Amino acid sequence: MKSSAWMVISLVIVCLISGGLLARVYLSTKPRIEAQKQFELRQRLIELLPSAKQFNEIIRDTLWIGLDENNRPTGIIFRVAPLGYGGPIPILVALNCDTTINKIYIGSAAEGLKETPGLGYKVRDEEFLNQFINKNYHALSLVRNGGTIQAITGATISSQAVINGIKLGISRFAQYLPVKDSILIKEDTIQSIEADTIK
Amino acid sequence: MKNRVNRLKYFTDGILKENPILVIMIGLCPTLATSTTAKDALGMGIAASFVLIASNIVISLIRKFVPNSVRIPIFIIVISTFVTIVDYVMQAYAPALYRVLGVFVPLIVVNCIILGRAEAFAYHHGVFDSFLDGLGKSLGFTLVIVCMGIIREYLSTAKIFGFNIGPKFLSTNPVLFMLFPPGGFLLIGILKALVNKFINKTPE
Repeated sequence: MKSSAWMVISLVIVCLISGGLLARVYLSTKPRIEAQKQFELRQRLIELLPSAKQFNEIIRDTLWIGLDENNRPTGIIFRVAPLGYGGPIPILVALNCDTTINKIYIGSAAEGLKETPGLGYKVRDEEFLNQFINKNYHALSLVRNGGTIQAITGATISSQAVINGIKLGISRFAQYLPVKDSILIKEDTIQSIEADTIK
Repeated sequence: MKNRVNRLKYFTDGILKENPILVIMIGLCPTLATSTTAKDALGMGIAASFVLIASNIVISLIRKFVPNSVRIPIFIIVISTFVTIVDYVMQAYAPALYRVLGVFVPLIVVNCIILGRAEAFAYHHGVFDSFLDGLGKSLGFTLVIVCMGIIREYLSTAKIFGFNIGPKFLSTNPVLFMLFPPGGFLLIGILKALVNKFINKTPE
């Protein structure tokens, strides 16, 4: 009888101690963790669009406008997550004012990339990403479809997904750029890209 | 005198004679998942070693108060509390380290080596012995997982720790099979066969 009571009490004590400890650690580290995340995001944004001195968040965690020291927009950065082979591919894209791509960044496994290591995971390689620099909307398609992007060997689905995601993002967010007439994408193009992405 | 030799044995046994992966054959899940590159394997090894040593110490400290019938739930609470604290603290105070090890930290909770050592060793031994056991076992774990990482990374990309070293034909025709779980299983099998043949010659 005594031992069964002790069984319950000891479990309760251990749970209380661990619960209390966790709450304490969580509360005391939370502000620092948040600050770290913000800091890292800011570093990432600066890396993607070095011409900007300040970033205005237009859509929470999705769209930022970069402003230079005279408060003139120098470009936008947006986040897209097209469906790749293993799951959504987290991509940050920086667009210049003339709608060409300044730089793109693809998140690591820690940031949610689920592509196959050694195959689809190579979308993070410089060799693949550098192909996007200074390209505009119309140049973005795979070489075998008449475009300029060389797909990763054995990972056509992931390569295509990155392209689709970026195109979809450009067509959605280019309207936030100061120069509007350089890119005119009609609603039906957007729909056809969306259909491609789902396929 | 005999005592000291025994204690040293707790430490040395874990490295090869009672290697957690190749001899006890536990903790295979994180081993397969993270031994695809040498860097990931080393990260997992360090993170798991830290938790294993600490949980061995804590569990051997509280072993007198833990009733036999509920020991497993208590071990799991202790281990997962510890892992979560490590996760938060690392995220807040060592973000650079977290970027490398962060993915592996939640995986440690399900690493059976840690629960296995708590149950088989720390629950019956003193604090210092448990520390030695944890140190030995985590060294053995890290050693094997890094070896596997090096072999799998080399065969599948011709690189080791991200540095290109291999012959050209290997980087153009990589053995991608080694990256996938079947390749990992195959490698564990080969390493175990080697260890059985040359180190643990058990008469059967």
